[in-house]
Amino acid sequence: MLGFLIGEALRDLRRAGRVAVSAIVLITLSLAALGGFWLLSANLARAVANWRERVRIIVYLKREPAASEAPALVERVQGVPGVASVVYLSKADALKSLKEILGKDASVVAQLPANPLPASLEVTPAAAAATPDGARTLLRNLQALPEAEEVAGSADWVERLSQWQRLVTTIGLGIGAVLAVAAILTVTTSTTLILHARRHEMEIMRLVGAPEAAIRLPLLLQGMLQGLLGALLALGALVVAHELVAPRLEPLVNLTLGLSHLQFLPLASLMMLLAAGTLLGALGGWLARGRREP
Amino acid sequence: MIELHRVSKVFSVGPVKVPALSDVSLRIAKGEFVVLTGASGAGKTTLLRLLYRDDVPSDGEVQVLGEDVASLRRSEVAALRRSIGVVFQDAKLLPARTVYENVAFVLRVLGTPKREITPRVFDALRTVGISARAQAYPAQLSQGEAQRASLARAIVRQPSLLLADEPTGNLDDAMEAEIIDVIKDIRAGGTTVILATHQSRLVRALRRRTITLDGGYLLKDEG
Ligand SMILES: Nc1ncnc2c1ncn2[C@@H]1O[C@H](COP(=O)(O)OP(=O)(O)O)[C@@H](O)[C@H]1O
Ligand SMILES: [Mg+2]
Repeated sequence: MLGFLIGEALRDLRRAGRVAVSAIVLITLSLAALGGFWLLSANLARAVANWRERVRIIVYLKREPAASEAPALVERVQGVPGVASVVYLSKADALKSLKEILGKDASVVAQLPANPLPASLEVTPAAAAATPDGARTLLRNLQALPEAEEVAGSADWVERLSQWQRLVTTIGLGIGAVLAVAAILTVTTSTTLILHARRHEMEIMRLVGAPEAAIRLPLLLQGMLQGLLGALLALGALVVAHELVAPRLEPLVNLTLGLSHLQFLPLASLMMLLAAGTLLGALGGWLARGRREP
Repeated sequence: MIELHRVSKVFSVGPVKVPALSDVSLRIAKGEFVVLTGASGAGKTTLLRLLYRDDVPSDGEVQVLGEDVASLRRSEVAALRRSIGVVFQDAKLLPARTVYENVAFVLRVLGTPKREITPRVFDALRTVGISARAQAYPAQLSQGEAQRASLARAIVRQPSLLLADEPTGNLDDAMEAEIIDVIKDIRAGGTTVILATHQSRLVRALRRRTITLDGGYLLKDEG
């Protein structure tokens, strides 16, 4: 029976011809747009997460605390809301890392009469402090420490990146939605054509007492087939686009966002795109209703 | 098998009420061959449509195969129709399918197991004498052959009731005689037959119980 229903659905698709093809193309376009923006947004989200982890705020201290006082200070700063972790860097530590950075030029440091570098606290903000407001509050709290000379660092631009990511997501959803509506309408049109082409079959089916499911299911199935085909084509287009564009874009992306490569969508997202296509098609098929029996 | 009790059917065409059947009562037993006659517009088609629940009566009660047709739900209507074969003046064959496929279509729609389909289709095609034309498309058939194919489709489910609405209306005399013979064969297999025709010559030739309608009223029931 299922074989028969699918066979009837395929026969319907052939009958709808060019309109079915344009419905499939529109579904392909809408899902490719959705998937493309999704891919961009997912990679931007990855960059944002990376950068959030790497955000550090440095609190330069007015004077170096005695070795015995340092742990108490660290513990106090740890207690400031929005702080995830604190590392204490003494003047000597600072000088050491400066030497490391200078490498073979480190000898110039040896010529300094005294260590000019201040002691500091390296603060990693908690995720909650990564919002613009949270970051500002954290900075204010750290500045209020009596030991603080100066506070450096901000999470502002990570925030800007995250806003970009949200914008990309919104644009993607918007374009995807507009195209999806067009796709549904086209499936509805092709299904209406099919309904017309199929009216003799449906009349005979009703006359011989076919179950209502056998009468309606081929219509729904052909809609779902249109959607599934469109989704598969969209996935193919995404794979090809990713293969072609990613290697060329990666140096730039690496430089600006610090991402070593552009990841393709995970399997779960691909499945969702397939499901979305099938659903679009089914909806289009279902919206085309013929005359029903009294 | 069939019982009509004071059945009326009024169609509303806009504000106009068109009475098609008025106060018709009758009873048809299992295995009968009944001719339904009357001038064009007398209500024959309307009466048949009430029997396979293509429509419901405006008044009165129609019982078919023990069911009050007006009270049936959609799935029960489908079940009732599975026991009724219907043929019309035009064969209503699906043009893109062969004779074989047209008949098999019915069985496939009803979920008949695959291996039963071919033997049952050829049984039906043999009964109506058209098995040699199984692979022909409707456009390649004569009107007599098309009507045979339509009859094969109607009986392939072995219905207990066959309704034929002017089945020979498009046919010449020789073809008409052949189709009537096929219908008689079907009846001989135990199927109740109701044949509607406005041709009095055919009515006389059949010499069966004849129900005559006139302007929607039952005029005569004799034979
Ligand atoms: N669907 C309908 N709507 C309106 N009037 C109808 C409809 N069907 C039949 N009629 C009217 O009912 C009467 C009986 O029609 P019908 O049953 O087709 O007669 P017959 O088959 O004997 O020629 C006619 O007057 C016809 O015009
Ligand atoms: Mg008629």
